[in-house]
Amino acid sequence: MTLLARLRSFWRHVINRSDMEREMSDELAFHIAARADDLTARRGLPRSEAVRLARLEFGSVEKYKEESRQSLGLRLIDEARGDVRYALRTFAKHKAFTAAAIATLALGIGATTAIFSVVDAVMLRVLPVERPEELMSLLVQRQGHPEGYGFTNPLWEAIRDQQDVFSAVFASSSRGPMPLMFGTGDDVSASIQALVASGDFFEALGARPALGRLFTADDDRRDRLPVAVLANGFWRSRFGGSPEALGQTIAMNGRSFVVIGVTRPGFFGVNVGSNFDVVIPLAQAWLFDRDNLESRGRWWLNVMGRRKPGVTLERIQARLDTLSAPVMAAALPAGSPASQREFLTRRLVVAPGSDGTSTMRNQFQTPLKVLMALVAVVLLVGSANIASLLLARGATRHKEMATRHALGGSRRRLMRQLMTESVLLAGAGSLLGLAIANRGAVALVRSLSTENNPIFLDLSLGGHVIVFTTTVAVVIVLLIGLLPALRVTRVTAGEAMKTRTVESERPHFRAGKLIVAGQVALSLVLLVSGGLLLRTFVTLVRLDLGFDRTNVVVVNGRPPRIGAEGTMPSPAQRSAAYDEIAERLRALPGIQSVARAFTTPIGDDNWVNTIRVDRPDAPSGEDASCYFNFVGPGYFATMRISLLAGRDFSTRDTRESPTVAIVNETMARRFFPGTGALGQHFSRRGFAGEVEIVGIVRDSKYETVRQATPATAFLPAAQVPRDTADQLVIRTAVTPEAIIPQMQRTARDVNQDLAVTVRTLAAQVDDNLAGERLVASLSGFFAALALLLSMIGLYGVLSYLVTRRQSEFGVRLALGAPTRSVVRTVLSEIAAVLSGGLAVGLLMTLAAVRLLKGLLFGLEPWDGATLAAAIVLLSAMALVAAYLPARRATRLDPSIAMRAE
Amino acid sequence: MAPDAELLPGTLDLLILKAVSLGAHHGYGILLRIEQITGGALAIEQGALYPALYRLEHQGLLESEWGTSDNNRKAKFYSLTSAGRKRLKTETDRWQRNALAINTALRAQEV
Repeated sequence: MTLLARLRSFWRHVINRSDMEREMSDELAFHIAARADDLTARRGLPRSEAVRLARLEFGSVEKYKEESRQSLGLRLIDEARGDVRYALRTFAKHKAFTAAAIATLALGIGATTAIFSVVDAVMLRVLPVERPEELMSLLVQRQGHPEGYGFTNPLWEAIRDQQDVFSAVFASSSRGPMPLMFGTGDDVSASIQALVASGDFFEALGARPALGRLFTADDDRRDRLPVAVLANGFWRSRFGGSPEALGQTIAMNGRSFVVIGVTRPGFFGVNVGSNFDVVIPLAQAWLFDRDNLESRGRWWLNVMGRRKPGVTLERIQARLDTLSAPVMAAALPAGSPASQREFLTRRLVVAPGSDGTSTMRNQFQTPLKVLMALVAVVLLVGSANIASLLLARGATRHKEMATRHALGGSRRRLMRQLMTESVLLAGAGSLLGLAIANRGAVALVRSLSTENNPIFLDLSLGGHVIVFTTTVAVVIVLLIGLLPALRVTRVTAGEAMKTRTVESERPHFRAGKLIVAGQVALSLVLLVSGGLLLRTFVTLVRLDLGFDRTNVVVVNGRPPRIGAEGTMPSPAQRSAAYDEIAERLRALPGIQSVARAFTTPIGDDNWVNTIRVDRPDAPSGEDASCYFNFVGPGYFATMRISLLAGRDFSTRDTRESPTVAIVNETMARRFFPGTGALGQHFSRRGFAGEVEIVGIVRDSKYETVRQATPATAFLPAAQVPRDTADQLVIRTAVTPEAIIPQMQRTARDVNQDLAVTVRTLAAQVDDNLAGERLVASLSGFFAALALLLSMIGLYGVLSYLVTRRQSEFGVRLALGAPTRSVVRTVLSEIAAVLSGGLAVGLLMTLAAVRLLKGLLFGLEPWDGATLAAAIVLLSAMALVAAYLPARRATRLDPSIAMRAE
Repeated sequence: MAPDAELLPGTLDLLILKAVSLGAHHGYGILLRIEQITGGALAIEQGALYPALYRLEHQGLLESEWGTSDNNRKAKFYSLTSAGRKRLKTETDRWQRNALAINTALRAQEV
């Protein structure tokens, strides 16, 4: 009760400070006047005498005013105001120091906050939907496999129709970039991200429209008018935010959808890291996603549910345990009896889903955590410099502090004054840091985002980020301010009187050396981490992938676009079109060779099947799986994958000719150890007939740069089982960029409905290393920054040492000591700091690098060469930092040095 | 107004609350009233009244308003808030209990 009154009174008096002061003076003046009136009236004193007596009786006006202010709690404010003014004066006097300190903190806090914003958006935030804590993810558990997030459409429909534990369930899936057309024009206007979602999607998430309506279960049927809901951002950029968008027709992949509504801003569905432009009902995706909807073998849907209030996770799981068998039975795919039996043992598993699902999260979790740790260490090293400098400056105020202490300034009061400076520095640094953090976070996400995997994250300033930055600021205040404040105020009155002490023995000097040793230790950790990550990246970039990616262009027609009714090119028509494009491209100047392919290395597609060979020791189970690609004649020459034995495909390998294969070394080794694979046969699950091996090629990477080359079999493009080989690889004699536009024109001339993308193979490989590139460049940058900062710290401490001991050095030199001995004194100081720092740093490094294990490639965390290089680099830089102070020490003029005292 | 008795800690606040409870008054008036109700037995340096008044107002036990004194001077008048009235009552009760206890204790005789 009175707390509120006190706060109110405090606030009123702080705000109306001058009114309050005037009123207080008036009130006391009234008291004295009234007393004087009384004294005159009662005792008949003359007025002047009465006033004098009244004043005497009242006591010290100023003293009681001050006590009254204290009663109102105003003294703290007055002192704080004084401290701030004092700190600002100090800053103005040391402009360079202040600017450097604030810049260091702003950059450090900015970088830390930027990385934290991304970590927050990817890992910590719950979905921006209604009651996210009720959302649950469904997974399918297979014996001996990690839980998978994918569902087939028949499986999803079985769950939807049979479940009774969720108040709502919904399925969704992002359908990669696809061509979009407006109205009825033939022009491909944009490549968009579509989301297909089941009817209850919006209602289950509690999403509401910004315009029109969102689709419901009733729209999610194949016989309904195809409808589409636009994402708010897409609506603004494409339709200018106009209500006219409602009722318009948009064509996706040649299929028309009527716009019925627009989502509210900030709604991105449940997949963190991805965004959509258009949402269409799942059942209506059959217009262009027919195979996906019907297939019992394509695990492409993500299923979530909303828990009924009060139902526990355990109860849901118990119910799902009994539901699993009938659901699986309803969605049983064709296959061998064994594989069907295995399918029926699969189990539905529920997991908390308040943070949605995210492939991005799985991919970047570890790199982000590592970056977060590294940037925090850099901030620590930077803060240590500021602490060092404050400490050194505090030393010059030693006498001032001792004097004030002797005059009765309490230690707490003195500390408060010194801490005010730290608070102001950290406050300014944090505000500036926060201002640049968002740009940093956006840049970070942009460098992770690639053409085929665009990343969208909501990076707006959220509660988590503000709390984080505030916490960082408080920690920094303590880091940079507390030690100097404690050291500087540790004085006795007697010290004020001493004129000099042996400076090197001063506690703050020892503290300064400790700080620098700590910086050296942390820098070592960063240098080794940065070194390991950089070497990993360089190893990956330089890695022999088994093919030559320079001067190769990939023309990619996947996913195949489906034209308007009647003009939809059949696989045969597409195949003919690609052949014709290849033919025309071959005729272009600057093009060496062209070949067709089902997929290209480090691309997005894969084709895996189990194969069987007729041998007693044939691999089985997972070991029997083999990757496939379907390529045309000249593919291996174009990719510069050497043919080790046998023959290349030719135009005589057609759909009608016997099925033949060229396999890689791994495949040959695994399936035909000892005997040689050439001329051998294998069969594929789900396909009749044997395949004869007619050639063996060198190993080359399939899906990712890191992945070990899998056993791979190449079959002729003409023998691809379904769809078609929708890609072309082209080796150019000139820079590919120069003729890419010409290739695009050629493809369009042959068939407008193909909607191909054209990019270099080098870019495709680069995209696969986007995460590694970011981690390597940032950690390298952080390591360099830490090195620079700690060397500045070392330089500062040594300069200070030389300044403090200049008279000693001067005298030594004057008495004929060789300059060597002075240099040795300085160097022994560095040696002590450096060796102490390195020893501690080594222990910290050994503990820290274990965390990097998952990120490294081709080298172990405890890599002797990297460690040695980091130590040599640190030591060399320390000598550079020591050079100037040491030289100054040898050039001291004794007479000047003595006079300076 | 010679100081006759030392002021016990806390008693000034209680006396001020009591004095103000008898009717709103300005600082000087409160001083005179305390003098009057204590029979001049307790005395303080006059200025010491003000830090106490500000403290009580800060705590929400008193409220103040500018008005005109008998001598036609502008003066700040203090009155009790309801919180102040409640506090006066509890403090009075406690004081009397303590006083009773101490009186009893002091009257005790050796047996």
